[in-house]
Amino acid sequence: MLYREAGQFKSSYAEDQQIFPIRQDRIAMGVLLAVAFVVLPLAGNEYWLSAILTPLLIFALAALGLNILTGYAGQLSLGTAAFMAVGAFMAYNFVLRMPWLGILPSFILAGLCAAAVGVVFGLPSLRIKGFYLAVATLACQFFVLWAIQRIGWFTNYSSSGVITAQQVVILGVPFDTPARKYLFTLTVVALMALAAKNLMRSETGRAFMAVRDMDVAASVIGIPMMKTKLLAFAISSFYCGVAGALHAFAYLGTVEPEAYSLELSFNILFMIVIGGAGSILGSFLGAAFITLFPIFLNLASDWLQNVTGIEIQHAVVSNLRVIIFGALIIFFLIVEPLGLARLWQITKEKLRLWPFPH
Amino acid sequence: MILSVENVSLAFGGVRALQEVSFDVQEHEVRAIIGPNGAGKSSMLNVLNGVYHPQTGKIRFRGEEFTDMESHRAAAMGIARTFQNIALFKGMTVLDNIMTGRNLKMRCSFLHQALWLGPAKREELEHRRAVEEIIDFLEIQHIRKTPVGRLPYGLQKRVELGRALAAEPKLLLLDEPMAGMNLEEKQDMCRFILDVNEQFGTTIVLIEHDMGVVMDISNRVVVLDYGRKIADGTPEEVRNNQRVIDAYLGVAH
Amino acid sequence: MPTQVAFFVEVLAGGLLAGVMYALVALGFVLIYKASGVFNFAQGSMVFFAALTFVSLTERGWNFWLALAVTLVVMVVLGVVIERTVLRPLVNQPQITLFMATIGLTFVLEGLSQLIWGSQPHGLELGIADVPIDWLSQKLNINISQFDIFAAFVAGALVAVLAVFFQKTRIGRALRAVADDHQAALAVGIPLQHIWAIVWAVAGFVALVAGLMWGVRNGVQYALTFTALKALPVLLIGGFESIPGAIIGGLIIGATEKLAEVYVGPMFGGGIESWFAYVVALLFLLVRPEGLYGEKHIDRV
Repeated sequence: MLYREAGQFKSSYAEDQQIFPIRQDRIAMGVLLAVAFVVLPLAGNEYWLSAILTPLLIFALAALGLNILTGYAGQLSLGTAAFMAVGAFMAYNFVLRMPWLGILPSFILAGLCAAAVGVVFGLPSLRIKGFYLAVATLACQFFVLWAIQRIGWFTNYSSSGVITAQQVVILGVPFDTPARKYLFTLTVVALMALAAKNLMRSETGRAFMAVRDMDVAASVIGIPMMKTKLLAFAISSFYCGVAGALHAFAYLGTVEPEAYSLELSFNILFMIVIGGAGSILGSFLGAAFITLFPIFLNLASDWLQNVTGIEIQHAVVSNLRVIIFGALIIFFLIVEPLGLARLWQITKEKLRLWPFPH
Repeated sequence: MILSVENVSLAFGGVRALQEVSFDVQEHEVRAIIGPNGAGKSSMLNVLNGVYHPQTGKIRFRGEEFTDMESHRAAAMGIARTFQNIALFKGMTVLDNIMTGRNLKMRCSFLHQALWLGPAKREELEHRRAVEEIIDFLEIQHIRKTPVGRLPYGLQKRVELGRALAAEPKLLLLDEPMAGMNLEEKQDMCRFILDVNEQFGTTIVLIEHDMGVVMDISNRVVVLDYGRKIADGTPEEVRNNQRVIDAYLGVAH
Repeated sequence: MPTQVAFFVEVLAGGLLAGVMYALVALGFVLIYKASGVFNFAQGSMVFFAALTFVSLTERGWNFWLALAVTLVVMVVLGVVIERTVLRPLVNQPQITLFMATIGLTFVLEGLSQLIWGSQPHGLELGIADVPIDWLSQKLNINISQFDIFAAFVAGALVAVLAVFFQKTRIGRALRAVADDHQAALAVGIPLQHIWAIVWAVAGFVALVAGLMWGVRNGVQYALTFTALKALPVLLIGGFESIPGAIIGGLIIGATEKLAEVYVGPMFGGGIESWFAYVVALLFLLVRPEGLYGEKHIDRV
C-alpha cells in the first residue's frame, strides 16, 4: 500500500527522465545512502567494514565495469581481472614514481591505462563476435598477468613479485582505518555508479544496447560500430582498472599478481549473471551475493556441525561452494537470465499493484 | 532527382542477386519495388544503404556518386530504413528505440553524458521532445515505456517506422512495411506512409507484395524478376505490362 | 645430423606431438559445437572428471578394462544428464547464454569430481613409458617420447573412428543433418534431442581419451582442467566446426608454441607459453575471422 505512485504526475520530460521517477524510490535510495555513509562507518565493526563491505563495493565496481561491456554492449569478456591488475599495478607505480600527483589523479591515470589495454584487446571485437571474442579476451587475461609477473618495472623489481600499496592520503587526511578505507571506497564507487547510470540512460548507453541487440540495424541507423565497441571496452576497462586500484589500496594492501587470475574474472562474470546483465543495480546485487554467499555457507556448515555433531571438512564446504555457484549460474540462465535485478523489478511491480493483483 | 541507380550488379558466390539494374527516384515521390519472391528486391534496398556491396554499378544520391556505400555513411547522408523481419533493439523500450534513431543528431561527448550536466541533459530533453512528436504522430503513446520485445507484430512495425523517422531522413526505405498485417493495420500503415510523404516531404522507396497497396500509394513502380529489371513506370503502365503479368503468373518460356 | 638441426627437429616434433594432444581436447569442443551450436567451455573439466574417475577406480584395485568401461559409462551418462538438465531448457537461447551456462557447468564438474574423489593428484600409467625412443636418440640424436608417438596414434585412430561414425552410420548422417540446419532436421523427423544426447555422450568419450593421454603426461590433477584453455586457441585457428581444423590447428599451435618457447621465450624471460598460442590465434583471426575451415556467413537482413 505504501508503494504507490498514484498522484505523482510528471509535467515535464525532465521529471520523467529522472533516475528514480517514483517518489518512494527516491526516499528509499536516500535512506540507503544515509545508512551506507553514516550509520555503517559509525556502527559497523572493523571486520565487517574491512573484510566484507569494502571488498563487496570494490567487486561491485568491477562487476559494473564488466556489465557495461557485457550486459549493455553485449561483448563478452573473460579478462576482467587483467584490467583490474593493470589498474592496481599502474596506480602503485604512479604513486611510487610521481608522488606529487596525489592518489586520486593516480587512480584516474591507472584507470586510463586499463582503458588503453582494453581498447587494444577490444580491437578483435571489430572482426569477431560472441565466444570467439570471449576466447580472445582470455589472451588479455594471460598476457597481462604474464607481463606484470615478468617485467620487473611493474612491481618495482620486488624479488617476490609482491607489492605493498601506499597509504591513501587525500588533502592530508590519511585513510588508514577500516572505516575510512570503507568511506573512501564507498565515495568512489557511488560516484562512478552514478556516472555509469547517467551514461547508460543517454545516447552512449543506447548505442551500446543497440549494438548488443542487433548490430546490423545499429549500423544502418548510423551508429558507428568501431567507435561504439571500442568505447565500451575503454569505459568498461576504466571501471575495472579503478576497481583494481581500490582493490589494492583500500582492501588488500599487499598485492601479488596472482590475485588477478582467471578465477577472479569468472567470479565477476558470475556477479553479473546472477545480479543481472544490463543493470547497474544488478552489479551491486551480484557482488553482494557472491561475496556474502560463502560466508553464509560457512555459517550454515558450522551450524550444521553443532546441531548434528558430524564434522564437515573444510574441503567439502569449498567444493560445495563451487558446485552451488556453478549450479546457480545455470539456474539463473535458465530461469531468470536477467538475474536478481529483474526479480527485484518484478517484486516492485507486484508491490505497486498489491493487494489487488490486477 | 534524389537517387539514381545505374547498372548495379550484385552476386553472392555464384548466385546473381542483381544484374545490371538501373532506375531513378524523384524527389518527394513514393517509389515501389515489386517482384516475385527471390527477385532481388531486398538485396536492392541493402545495396542502397550499404549493407551489401555491389560488384559493379553506380549509385547517385543527392548529387554524390558512389560505387559502394557504407551503412553508417548512408545514415549520415539521410537514408533511413526499415526491415522485412523487424530489426528493433529487443531489450530496449519503444522510447529508447526511437531515440536511437536520433543518434546522429546528438553531439555531446560521453563525458558530458556521464556527468549529466547542462548540455547533455538539455540535448537529451530536446531530442526527447522531437521523439515524442513522432510517438504522437504514430499514435503509440501508451506503449512508450514498454520493451519492444513484448509488443505485437503490428506495433513493432510501427515502432520501427518511428525509429527511421526519428532520423528525419531525406530518403526512407521500407522493406515490406505491411507484411503479415491484417486489413486494419495495413490501412493504418498506408496512412502513416502517405502522411510522412506529405507532411515531411520524405521520399519513399518501398517493397510490397500487396498489389492493391502498391497501386494505391505509389507514384511509380519498378518490377524486378530474377535480379533483372523487367518493367518501370506508373502503376497503370506496369499493371498492363505483358512481361510483368508473365513473371507473376508464370509462363512457359 | 648436426646438433643444432637435430635439436630443431626435436623441438618441432615435440611441438607437433603436443599439438596432437591439444587437438584431442579440441575435438570434444568441435563435436558438440557442430551438432548443437554450443561452445562447451566445460570440456576441460570433463577431461578432468573422466581421468580422475578412471584413475581412482584403478587405484581402488579395479581391473584396467573394467575401470575403462565403467568410466565410459559414467561419461556417457554424464553427457546425457548435462543435455537434459542444462541444454534442453536453454534451447533457442543466444549462444552467449549457452556459453556462460557451460562455464557454470565447469564449476559444477570441478567441484563434483573433487567432492567425490578428493583433490590429491594421482599418477597414471598406461603401460607405455614417457621416455625417448632409443634408436631415434642413438641414430639421429633426437629425443622423441614414445608416449607422444602412441598418443598421436590414439588421436589418429580416434579421428578415424569419428570419421567413420559421422560418414557411414545412420546416426552420423542424422548428426550431420542436425549440424547443417536444426529446423530442417526436425522437419524431416530427426529426433533432435536424441542426437544431442548422443553427441554429448561421444564428447564424454573423447574427453576420456584426452584425459588418459594428458593424465599420463602431467598426472591426474586439477591442472588438467587447464587443458581446455590450451585447446581454445586451436579452435580459433581451426574454426569451431571442423574436425580437420582441430587437427591442423592443434599442429600449428603446438609447433609454433614449442618453437617460440625454445627460441623466443628466453628473450622475454620465459613463461610465454601461457599466452603465446592466444596471440598467434588472434593474429590469425584478424586475417581470417572465420578460422581455417570455418564457413563465411552472410548476414541476411
